[in-house]
Amino acid sequence: MKNNLIKLSRFILLTLLLFILPPRIVLADTFEQLRRNSADIKTVQARFVQKKLMKILAKPLISEGRFFYASPDSFRWEYLKPLRSVVLSGKGVTKRYIMSGGKMAEDKSGGVKAMGIVLGEITNWMSGKFDQNTSFKAALQEGRNTLITLTPVEQNMAGMIEKIEISVVRKTMVVKSVKIIEDKNTATVINFSNVEINKGINASIFQDVE
Amino acid sequence: MKSVRLLALTVLLLASCSTLPVIHPASPQPEAKVPACPVCPSPFFKAPHHLVHIIDVRVAGKAQGAVIGVTLIHPSAQFVSCAIMTAEGITLFEAEATPGLKIIRALPPFDSRDFARNMIEDIKLIFLAPEGQVAAKGILADGAEICRWQTTNAEFVDVVAGPRETFEITRYAASGRWKRRVKFKHDADNFYQHIELTAKDAFNYSLLMTLVESEPVESEPQTNNRGLQDK
Repeated sequence: MKNNLIKLSRFILLTLLLFILPPRIVLADTFEQLRRNSADIKTVQARFVQKKLMKILAKPLISEGRFFYASPDSFRWEYLKPLRSVVLSGKGVTKRYIMSGGKMAEDKSGGVKAMGIVLGEITNWMSGKFDQNTSFKAALQEGRNTLITLTPVEQNMAGMIEKIEISVVRKTMVVKSVKIIEDKNTATVINFSNVEINKGINASIFQDVE
Repeated sequence: MKSVRLLALTVLLLASCSTLPVIHPASPQPEAKVPACPVCPSPFFKAPHHLVHIIDVRVAGKAQGAVIGVTLIHPSAQFVSCAIMTAEGITLFEAEATPGLKIIRALPPFDSRDFARNMIEDIKLIFLAPEGQVAAKGILADGAEICRWQTTNAEFVDVVAGPRETFEITRYAASGRWKRRVKFKHDADNFYQHIELTAKDAFNYSLLMTLVESEPVESEPQTNNRGLQDK
């Protein structure tokens, strides 16, 4: 079960980070091109709205947040509402903070260790190695939108995640959404906005929780 | 011999209830200023509802973290469905009681059946009228209205209506020891805005629940096809 949690956390985090793909990737016909195009990314920042769909939910649960990334390995993934949380990562250290009892408290549970495992794979994603994760089969499809589909190859993961779809608007060359499909009733959809590539980010963003 | 056993049982029963608050008749005297208690206080749902809360978890008074809790209630069917999610949207736990317990997903540290059973029981205590019979009805020494249920498993549940439309629910073991206490601190917008559940059991914990959204539900309860039914 713990391995499943680690894998699930890793998978979702990786997926959440997918949107940092620069718009240029829509022109890529192969994953080799993606790797070459990703080499120029120094920073990324964006806002996001996340919709969680489950059978139990009468309507999607909406979360809002923001994301920052700086090459080679710093990122900040922050939910602003309904429940504030921040994941800070850099120099091989990952920390998660959650609003509890009216203040941001560090989460020292096993889930944070899982984040450390995640980082090794995030590095692969940052360098455009989308098809080198042996846990998933990646496919790239050009159409009205560019669609990258990731399908788990491990039976263990297949029971938890059906597939991930990343949609990029070809005309505007902006990443539109990431959809994590767990099963026919459960999915997480993340829509991105205000995506800015290679704009300066203060170092404190990756260090300070507040 | 039978009468001795009966006497012993009666003494035990009386002793077991010794820690329960004393309930006085609602209107003992015509001139009494205390209002009568014609119906039991009821902070419970009567129609299907769906709620999302932020849940702050405290153990021994120390903050342990927060999660998102989703609850679906169908009172007439005694159907309860619930999920616990991280802020990031990862579902850590999902279960339903139809009324039999069915665990749909349970990741550590929420993967024990005891946790699932206790969680469903806590949710039922907060949102559904107690199962069982009203054993006593009246007022407490401070004038608060109270109804006491005796549940099918010989426990007691007190529902007390305090001043300014506040409610408090307390569940007692058959021995009279209190196990759960629920306090509702509602505002003008929603009755379930702030809920505090305190548990005094194998280990002590408290849950501070802050409402994110609340919606009436029209559809019939639908069980999840996934998961394992408790035997």
